[in-house]
Amino acid sequence: MAADRPAILDIVRRHLAEILEIDAVQISEMQSFRDDLGADSIALIELVDSLEQEFSASLPDFQFDDDDLEGLVTVGDAVDYVVRAHGG
Amino acid sequence: MLPVAVDAMGGDRAPGEILAGSLQASESGIPVVLVGPEGLDGTGGLPLIPASEVIEMHDDPAKSVRTKRDSTLVRAAEAVRDGKASAMISAGNTGATMASALLRMGRISGVARPAIATPVPVPGGSPTVLLDAGANAEVQAEWLVQFAQMGAVYSSRRFGVSNPRIGLLSIGEEPGKGDTLRKEAWELLSATNGMDFIGNVEGRDLMTGDVDVVVTDGFTGNVVLKTLEGSLKAVVKALFSAFGQPEYSDAANTLMPALLPLYETLDPDTYGGAILLGVDGVCIISHGSSSARAILNGIRCAKEMVETDMVGAIRDAIAGTV
Repeated sequence: MAADRPAILDIVRRHLAEILEIDAVQISEMQSFRDDLGADSIALIELVDSLEQEFSASLPDFQFDDDDLEGLVTVGDAVDYVVRAHGG
Repeated sequence: MLPVAVDAMGGDRAPGEILAGSLQASESGIPVVLVGPEGLDGTGGLPLIPASEVIEMHDDPAKSVRTKRDSTLVRAAEAVRDGKASAMISAGNTGATMASALLRMGRISGVARPAIATPVPVPGGSPTVLLDAGANAEVQAEWLVQFAQMGAVYSSRRFGVSNPRIGLLSIGEEPGKGDTLRKEAWELLSATNGMDFIGNVEGRDLMTGDVDVVVTDGFTGNVVLKTLEGSLKAVVKALFSAFGQPEYSDAANTLMPALLPLYETLDPDTYGGAILLGVDGVCIISHGSSSARAILNGIRCAKEMVETDMVGAIRDAIAGTV
C-alpha cells in the first residue's frame, strides 16, 4: 500500500487527541510528545497500541518495535514510522 | 457475578499470601479466578487463567505491558476486558497494573487520566479518599476536577458518604495559597456545579474526618501516602515498645481492648488497597507487601465496586460535565 503521509498524520493526530483529551487542531508534526503535549510514557504506549490496531487492516503485521519507542520524540517521528512501514 | 481475577504472582509475598487470601474470599462466597502459571501449587482448586510471564517490581511499567503480553497482569486485565472476570486485583508493580488496566480495559470516555484513589484511615469515621496517589506525577488543573468527581463517586459507593466534601491539598486554607496549579484548580473546583468543594485543605486534615475526598497530583499524593504510612508505623511501634515495659503491663492490658480496634482501623490491610479510577473496569491495586487479609479485603472491595456499578456511576458523573 502506498503511503499517504497527510492521511497518516491525520490519523495519528486523531488518536493522540483522543488519548490526551485535547483538540486535534492543537497537534502539529513538530511537537514533542513529552515536552509540548505533556504525553507520558503510558500515553505514548496508548498511542502505539491504538495505531497498531488502526493499521492492522491495511498492514496485518504492522507493529512498533519496542526498541524503537525511545526514538519516537515528536508527532512527526510516529508518522514517519507508520509511513516507512507502509513502504513510504 | 463474574469472578474477580487475582494476579497470583504479584507482590512481595506472592504467591503464598495471594493464594491464601483468594481461597478465603472464595470460601466466603466470592467467585475468584486466579491468573498465574499452569501447574501453580496451592490453588486449592480455584480456577486458573494461564499466564507464563510475570512483570517484576523493577520492570518498566509501560514497556513491560508490551514486552510481556502473556504476563499475569496483562492476562488479568484482558479477562476483565473479555468478560471473563468482573474485576482485577494485583499486589504487583503498581505502574504496570495501571498500564495493563488502561491499555486493556480502556479509559472511561471523557476521562483525561486515570488516578489511583487510596483510603486514608480516620479513627472513628469514614476513611478519607486521597487521589491521585501516584498514577500521574504531573497533572493539569482540569484533571484535578475530574479526580474530585471520580473520588466523590468512590467515597459514596465505597464508604456510603452521601455528599462527599472535596478538598484541594495545598499549603494553607486560603484560596490564594499554593502554586499556580493549586490556584488554577481552586478556581475550577469552585466553579464546578454538583460537588461540595470546601476549599484548600492541608496534610494535617487528612485523618480528621473534616474532608471526605482530597485531590492532588500523583507525586504529592504518593509522598503524602508514604509519609503517613511511615508515621503510623513509627507511632504503633513506639506504643507497643512503651507498653512492653514491665511497669506498664497492667495499663497495657487494660487499654488493649480499646487499642486493637483502633489498630485495625489504621492498618492498610483493612482496606485491601487502592483503586484505579477512570478505567473502564474495576482494578484494585494492593500494597506490594499485601498479606492474605489484605488480598481478601481487596477482593471484597472489588466485589462491592462491581455490585454498586461504580464504573457506571463515574461514567455518568464525567458525562455530565464534558
